[in-house]
Amino acid sequence: MKKLLSLLLLITAGLAVKAQNPTFSPSTFTAEDQVTLTFDVTGTGMAGATEAFIWLWGNAGDSPLNSSWTNSPDAAKMTAAGTNKWKFTFTATVMWGLPPAALTNFRFLVKKRDGSAQTPDQGPFFFDPLVFVPTMLRVFPAKVGADDVVTVNFDKTYGVTTNEQRMTPVSATITVFDETGVQVGSPLTLATRSIAPTIWAATFIPSASFTPGAGHKLAKFKYKFNGTILDPSGATVTVSSSETEVIFTTMQ
Amino acid sequence: MKLILKTGTWVLAAALLFASCSPDAKKDLGAPRSNIESLAGTWKLTKATQVDEDAARKGFPYKEMDITSLFPYTNFVLTLNLNSGAPGTFTTTPGTSPKIIKLTSGSWTVDNIEYPKDITLTSGLITEKVTLGGYPVGPYNTLKLKAERKDASTGKLLITYTYEFAKQ
Repeated sequence: MKKLLSLLLLITAGLAVKAQNPTFSPSTFTAEDQVTLTFDVTGTGMAGATEAFIWLWGNAGDSPLNSSWTNSPDAAKMTAAGTNKWKFTFTATVMWGLPPAALTNFRFLVKKRDGSAQTPDQGPFFFDPLVFVPTMLRVFPAKVGADDVVTVNFDKTYGVTTNEQRMTPVSATITVFDETGVQVGSPLTLATRSIAPTIWAATFIPSASFTPGAGHKLAKFKYKFNGTILDPSGATVTVSSSETEVIFTTMQ
Repeated sequence: MKLILKTGTWVLAAALLFASCSPDAKKDLGAPRSNIESLAGTWKLTKATQVDEDAARKGFPYKEMDITSLFPYTNFVLTLNLNSGAPGTFTTTPGTSPKIIKLTSGSWTVDNIEYPKDITLTSGLITEKVTLGGYPVGPYNTLKLKAERKDASTGKLLITYTYEFAKQ
C-alpha cells in the first residue's frame, strides 16, 4: 500500500513539474502592462538556491538588467514565491525604454548572481499587440479557449518563403497538445475556404474534434496550411507553410 | 354687446372643434406587455455571430464573423416554458449543431421578472448564463441571446457569441 502511495505521489509530482511553468499575472498583457512572472525552478540548476536573479532579453535585445553575467545588479533580484519558486514584476516599455510597437516578445532565464548556476532559456513569450500587425498566419478570435469556434487564416501576401507566396492552400493541419505537451489524438486536416483574393481560412472547435486523456485538458495547438505550386517543369508539387503555435486561454 | 357675442361665438366654436376630435369610444389597450411571456415558446436558431471583443476595443480589422454556415447551427432548438407566468423548465435539442448551451434540460430563471436581462439555466448543480439581446415583442419577433467568454484569470471580456432565434 505504501509503495502504491509513493508511486502515486511520484506521478503527481511529475505532473506538477510539467504543469504550466512559468505563469504570468495577468495571463495576457501588452508591452505597456505590468506583468508578474512566477517560475518554478525545480529540476533545474537553480533548485535549492537561496536567491535568484533574472536575465531578461527579447526581440529588442538585452534588457538593462543584463549588465554583467557574473555580477547581476540588485534590480534583477527575484522575490521568493514558495519553495523553488521565484517571481519578478516588470513593465516592458519601462524596462527597455522603448515604445510598445518596438517590443513583440521576451525571453528569460533565472540565475545566481555570479552566474554559477542557471535555468534553461524560457520563451519567447509574446506581448499582446496594441496595433494590428498583419501576418501570414492569424487566428480569429485572437484569443480562444478550447470550446470556442477557432478560425485559422493564411494570407499569402505576407508569405515569407517563395512557396508560401505562391501556394494555393487546400487544407490546414491542426495538431493539439495537452498541458503536459503530449499530442492529443491525430492531427486534424481541414479543407480551406477562400475568404478574400489572398486569404484562405479553416474553422474548427477544438473540444469537438479532440478529446484529451483522462485528467488532462487541451492546452495548445499548432497549425499550418498545405497547398500546391507548380515547379519549373510545370509539375504540381505539394508544399506547406511554416507552423505556428496558439495557447488556449482559460475561459469562464 | 357685440364683443360679448363675438367672444361667445369663438368660445363655442372652439369647444365644438375640440369635442369633435374625441373618439366615439376609447378602445381597450389590452393587458400590459409581458416581456417574460414573450420569451416562452420553441425557438430555432437562425444566425450565429462571433465577435473578438479585444479586436473591437482596439479598433483592429477582423472584429466579427458570421459563423452560421460554418457548422449546422440552424439545427439548434431551445424551448422555454413558463409556469404560472414565471420562468419554468427548458429543453435544448442541438441535433448536429454545436452545443451552444450544454445543458439539455432543467429550469430557467431571470434576474428581473419584468425586464429580464440575464437568463440562468440550471440542471442539478450546473448553471449556464446567457444574456438577452432584446425582447421578441411587437415587430421584433427574434429572440437574441448573447454568451460571453472572459479570460478566467483577469475577467476581461474576450469573445461574445450572439445567437438569433425564430419562433416555431
